[in-house]
Amino acid sequence: MAERSFVEEVKKLRAGEGDVFKGEGILAITKALLQSGVSYVGGYQGSPISHLMDVLNDAQDILGELGVHFEASGSEATAAAMLSASINYPLRGAVTWKSTVGTNVASDALSNLASAGVTGGAMVIVGEDYGEGSSIMQERSYAFAMKAQMWLLDPRPNLTSIVDMVEKGFELSEASNTPIFYMMRIRGCHVTGEFEARANVAPAFSNKTPVVPFREPEKIILPPFVYAQEREKIAQRLPAAVDFIKTQRLNEVFPGRYEQLGIITCGGSYNTVIRALERQGLADVYGTSEIPIYCLNVAYPLIPDELVEFCVGKRQVLVLEEGQPEYIEQGIQTILRRRDVQTRVFGKDIMPMAGEYTGQVMLQGVTTFIEACPGEPIPLRLGASAVAALETPVSDEDIAELMVSLPPRPAGLCTGCPERPLFSAIKQLQAELGPFHISSDIGCHSFATAAPFNLGNTIMGYGLSLASSSGVRHALPHKAISIMGDGGFWHNGLTSGVTSAVFNGHDGLLIVIDNGYSAATGGQDIPSLVEPNLIATTLDAKRPKREQWQPIEDACRGAGVKWLRTVSTYNIEAMKETLRAALSSDEPGLKVIIAEGECMLNRQRRIKPMIKQAINSGKRVEKARFYIDPETCTGDHGCIRISGCPSLTIKENPDPLRLDPVSYVDNSCVGCGVCGTNAHSAVLCPSFARINVVHNPNGWDRLLDRVRRGVRGWFGRREQRRLERSSL
Amino acid sequence: MSDAPKTINLLIAALGGEGGGVLTNWLIDIADACGWHCQSTSLAGVAQRTGATIYYLEFMRRDGDNRRPVMSLFPAQGDIDIALTSEIAEAGRMVSRGFISPDRTTLISSDHRVFGITEKTHMGDGAADRDLILAMSARYAKRFIHFDMAELVKRHGTVISAGMLGALAGSGVLPFERQAYEKALQSGGGATANLSAFSDAYERAARGGVGVVDPAITPEKEAGFVLPEPRTDAGRALLPIIASLPAPIQEVVYYGAQKLVDFQDTAYAMTYLQAVEGLLAIDAPESSYESTREAARWLALWMAFEDIPRVAQLKLRPSRDDSLRQEAGIGAAEPMKVSEYFHPRVEEVASLLPRRIGEALLRSRVMRKLVNNALGARQLRTDTIVVTLALRGMAALRHVRRHSLGYHHEWRMITAWLDAIRNAPDPEVARALVDCGGMVKGYGSTRHRTTSRLMLIVDKVAAGKATTAHAIHDLRIAAMASEEEQPFQSALATLSP
Repeated sequence: MAERSFVEEVKKLRAGEGDVFKGEGILAITKALLQSGVSYVGGYQGSPISHLMDVLNDAQDILGELGVHFEASGSEATAAAMLSASINYPLRGAVTWKSTVGTNVASDALSNLASAGVTGGAMVIVGEDYGEGSSIMQERSYAFAMKAQMWLLDPRPNLTSIVDMVEKGFELSEASNTPIFYMMRIRGCHVTGEFEARANVAPAFSNKTPVVPFREPEKIILPPFVYAQEREKIAQRLPAAVDFIKTQRLNEVFPGRYEQLGIITCGGSYNTVIRALERQGLADVYGTSEIPIYCLNVAYPLIPDELVEFCVGKRQVLVLEEGQPEYIEQGIQTILRRRDVQTRVFGKDIMPMAGEYTGQVMLQGVTTFIEACPGEPIPLRLGASAVAALETPVSDEDIAELMVSLPPRPAGLCTGCPERPLFSAIKQLQAELGPFHISSDIGCHSFATAAPFNLGNTIMGYGLSLASSSGVRHALPHKAISIMGDGGFWHNGLTSGVTSAVFNGHDGLLIVIDNGYSAATGGQDIPSLVEPNLIATTLDAKRPKREQWQPIEDACRGAGVKWLRTVSTYNIEAMKETLRAALSSDEPGLKVIIAEGECMLNRQRRIKPMIKQAINSGKRVEKARFYIDPETCTGDHGCIRISGCPSLTIKENPDPLRLDPVSYVDNSCVGCGVCGTNAHSAVLCPSFARINVVHNPNGWDRLLDRVRRGVRGWFGRREQRRLERSSL
Repeated sequence: MSDAPKTINLLIAALGGEGGGVLTNWLIDIADACGWHCQSTSLAGVAQRTGATIYYLEFMRRDGDNRRPVMSLFPAQGDIDIALTSEIAEAGRMVSRGFISPDRTTLISSDHRVFGITEKTHMGDGAADRDLILAMSARYAKRFIHFDMAELVKRHGTVISAGMLGALAGSGVLPFERQAYEKALQSGGGATANLSAFSDAYERAARGGVGVVDPAITPEKEAGFVLPEPRTDAGRALLPIIASLPAPIQEVVYYGAQKLVDFQDTAYAMTYLQAVEGLLAIDAPESSYESTREAARWLALWMAFEDIPRVAQLKLRPSRDDSLRQEAGIGAAEPMKVSEYFHPRVEEVASLLPRRIGEALLRSRVMRKLVNNALGARQLRTDTIVVTLALRGMAALRHVRRHSLGYHHEWRMITAWLDAIRNAPDPEVARALVDCGGMVKGYGSTRHRTTSRLMLIVDKVAAGKATTAHAIHDLRIAAMASEEEQPFQSALATLSP
């Protein structure tokens, strides 16, 4: 059950010929896949394409009706390997992942796929996680396309272009027997708009109409075929692709009256170029431009004839591609020099090498480019210095003051997150035992590397924390500590980490955080399940179990782990003791602690409707939330420093003498109890209280409550009189 | 192409989980219903967990040919018509990023605060300067509409996105009729609460936002303090003395004396007043007596140290039931259970015992262990009769407090601190030492850390190692910087040998 449900939206996927489809980019791509007659789809979630996986998951009815096979792949490598179905058979298939991380994981299968070549259209939809909002290291997928020879589509970010390019992409793949990268940028994935739909097409081959198995030995990745495949890439597939792209006009030329200039842009940046030109009075809002534009909806390969035709006769062109190195610019230079075209090429000499081409960056680049053109100046609304001044209207002094005042808002663990108490426990243990070196991993738990926990030294990749501790473990004063999520464990950690560690006699500690979901990517299901924790409410039906589930514990035992403990993260004392035991154990071999606690976001989504229904139907339900006594709180905020819970905040001190704010639990509290347990475990203060509200109380509840209130009230009135006597 | 049609560009900054996505979807539906194109995009990524999220929308009227405009996916500096932010620091962030153009941008923001992690983890007061952010927002926006939308939506029982939509509509910067907004809200969940919050926010924004009614600014806060007439014996004994003190310190001393009568008795408050009188000399006559006022503040808080009887007393406050119910959002009739987290240690027990016995207990390793094992972490159901009685018993121990080890211990430190202030060579040093009184806070190990660091500073001053106000100030800042020993130890190391 993913964080966002697309159950309503996927109904749009049934849109027929000529219907206007309105929605998000991700949904449009799914519709385009169905319009293309795709036979199988798969992938691994991760922003910005997590929702594509969620949409596919929620669209299984429609997929099933058409005979489209869907798999939530175990990793990107799993997904890439699926595409082998298109090697021998005319099956169209698409897989998706976050790039470049996912492409790196998938690279083995992708290279082999690209070498063998495909019969049916094979498409990898990569969410290019580059620029603001990204969560990974900054690299381009372009390099992989070049070295493995896969074509890279980068359509203009409007829904019509996005959908058309999916369909054309499959045709291109088949025409050139080459798998395709279809690149979506972060903002493009989430862009909304509309397009005219076409009817869905059932795949030619599926469980309804199976293929006849046959072999093509020359497509197997073994010598001597691999040499022939390499030659075929150059001799047949590339020319076929260039020919298809040219005849089908996949790239677009937009003419303009200033023919001495030209802009060559990747499709994904086209809208930003038009806006920059519009602001300079050189384009209108419908995209009519006075500067000619050559738009590369196919970013790789480049089409020499089209480039030469566009550049011939121009004094200068500007090449717009985000990131580094400037592969496209280099390619264009090579093509122009070989044909002896003397047009000057501007690119990364005036554009930034690193980072996105945002509105401001684009406006600056385009302005510099136009002003650099010799001859009669082209009138611009804003000169280069005026554009530079737009960067910020704020004076230096004011910026300085604001920078001091504005609090950073790093991503952190959610309210009630089961990982918080684990890190509280580790932090408390670190205070006792001295500084830890911790190998961290990808997932929500990587936020522990930031304030307030500041735990973790390196992140090497998804499921690679244990592997990454293997080189440093002999040089550490304590047993090596690696932290991995359940998502990472299944993605890669079991094989690259646990199996290898056991084999090599690694005697460190692996903490597997078992929250039951691939939580950081939006709460998708994973092979293992987690037992629901009975916290904060007396009501919690068992999480529905799948027929087949694969416990982490069994997997570890199967891989040879002997020292294995499962501890609820919410039990901080038990966790501290187990950690201590693991770190001081004389037993040889890997120690694995499965730190168990259901993802609170998912848990809340699961139990909130249940609680509401139970209360409305008159069932007795207890619900907890926490409270900090503002009179006993002294405003030291130690409770926040070992927790960082979003619901644990500060507010004005009610005591007229105290100046520092008191800690305060706001309304978002889900009653997980970590702050109270921390107050216990770290011996903080007596200010924490858990309030249990009893909904639909029974007779006994009412009676007991009445008696208690009566007694407390009697003492309360006495205390009130004393307070009055001791007032001034 | 100068008079060509243009898009209207709207930037929304919200925090994860505040419904920025819902707000965006409403706007898409509203634009669509009014015959406008709307393109939106967002940056969610990992920001959906507590971080800041950005949504960017462009609007364009559909033309007769239904040509589709080319709209940008990036908000650009100098190209934003409206910025809508859910919290005032996020408005400030939009200003700092250059998105607020003085000649173009209408900035609409809720002006409440949601504190960031660095503000919350501060050992004292780390909250950002809200007034400064408000002033900056007003300085750089073409129009700045702000009011407390969080408070508003809470009253209507809904979330901030509904208030933000109302404020946006009420500002009149988008060309859509009020009915169109309301229609969009009607079709969703929680329509009644959303519509009433929308309407309220609409009116506020239409009137220009703040300045109409702002419950945060109450006249009482502005008025000066007036010493009340005595109503009790304690008042008759103490108030004349307080009245004889310089006017600028009367408010603090009044609250201090009040606290100490409650904590112990009238005589204890009298001791306090005498100590305050003894400090008056650190300020120049006819001055504003700031140093004495601050010393009186910290002294009162220290004298009312939180031992077991004091905590029990605070937990028995008659008003507490109501506060708990209010916070939990439950009515007076519903049953409620309250479990409090206590972790008394041998130190707390020893501090209650007569001095010699307490010291003996702390010296004995066997006894320490026994007592600690008997105590430990406890959750006590303070709503039950047994625990109420036990708490009353503990609170009553205040009558023998003066003979306790804890009392002796605190007073030894208080005296050392007061002596250091009185013996200070100049008013600046005295003031720096006074401010160190603010370090004293917390329980258990926290309290041990804060007080022992203060005592170390006092020792250094007495030993002539820290002689300037500047040096003492730096020591205090270092002591407050971290729980770790390192910053404070390095600050101590820089002192003259």
